[in-house]
Amino acid sequence: MRALCWTGVNEVSVEDVPEPRLLNRQDALVEVTASSVCGSDLHLLDGYVPAMLAGDVLGHEFVGEVVEVGPDVRERRVGERVTVCSIIGCGRCHYCRQGLWSLCDNTNPNPGFQEKLNGHASAGIFGYSHAMGGFAGSHAEYIRIPYADFNAFPVPENVPDAGAVFASDAVPTGWIGADLGQVGPGDVVAVWGCGGVGQMAALASLRMGAPAR
Amino acid sequence: MAARLMRAARPARTTWFAVTVQADPSELSGPSRPDALARLAERHEVRVIRAPGGRGSEIAVRAADGRTREEVRALKQLLETGEVLVVEGQPEGRRTALGGVARPMFRQLTRRGPR
Ligand SMILES: [Zn+2]
Ligand SMILES: [Zn+2]
Repeated sequence: MRALCWTGVNEVSVEDVPEPRLLNRQDALVEVTASSVCGSDLHLLDGYVPAMLAGDVLGHEFVGEVVEVGPDVRERRVGERVTVCSIIGCGRCHYCRQGLWSLCDNTNPNPGFQEKLNGHASAGIFGYSHAMGGFAGSHAEYIRIPYADFNAFPVPENVPDAGAVFASDAVPTGWIGADLGQVGPGDVVAVWGCGGVGQMAALASLRMGAPAR
Repeated sequence: MAARLMRAARPARTTWFAVTVQADPSELSGPSRPDALARLAERHEVRVIRAPGGRGSEIAVRAADGRTREEVRALKQLLETGEVLVVEGQPEGRRTALGGVARPMFRQLTRRGPR
């Protein structure tokens, strides 16, 4: 299949790579129908996140169709259209049970680097360097989803791919910005930066009661 | 930062590596404890106590090196989720010659930390 690979600082190329396969019993494979470029892809592209290797597949915000499920997947079905959370949770550790997905204890097989730098490692993230687990990304025709029952969410029929793709990353990232800012009814909100995340922060603010002008 | 990394370089005899696991201490002691835990206890001093706040158990291992830390994490993952995530065997593009040579060291760094 074709995939967009990081090949060096500020260099990427579309390469022929092997298709993903199920590596764990709770995995699913998804055929990617939309994969968006995130602002944070720039940190990987320009070498700011140092744990990249030439040949790593980028991409962490995507929608697709489930094409295969492992024997221990209970909820997801082949043929379902799903959006997948950028940050991988196991759904069952203490942090996941608190809804703190990005702190998941069980989805980053490479925690050593971050533990030394930051004291604690984050969860794994698709296409986000070996410090975040070394998971192959979504700028590809197919992608493997670990713990599929907890990370892939069915998309309602009336929501197009171009709308659902933001649920991976930009919506929750924008939402938490508005949430941390304690936006409430009547607040006037300024958003710096009007990319995907900024627009979702503005939409979240409207939802939290900031008046539309 | 270099100094910090150097200081962290060797596991001191007195240093414990601990994880909190969503499991009752009774599942982690006695003859029915997981095999992986029994194997760890052959090589290391291992302490299992009830974690505060209803968070299950704490498994603490004394003087854990990189390999042991990896084993402890795998045990926690297995107990909590029923499997240990595999990342080897995913799609990847062409790896450079330098990447190939540096990879074991790189993997050691990201997986186990600098030691
Ligand atoms: Zn992102
Ligand atoms: Zn978790």
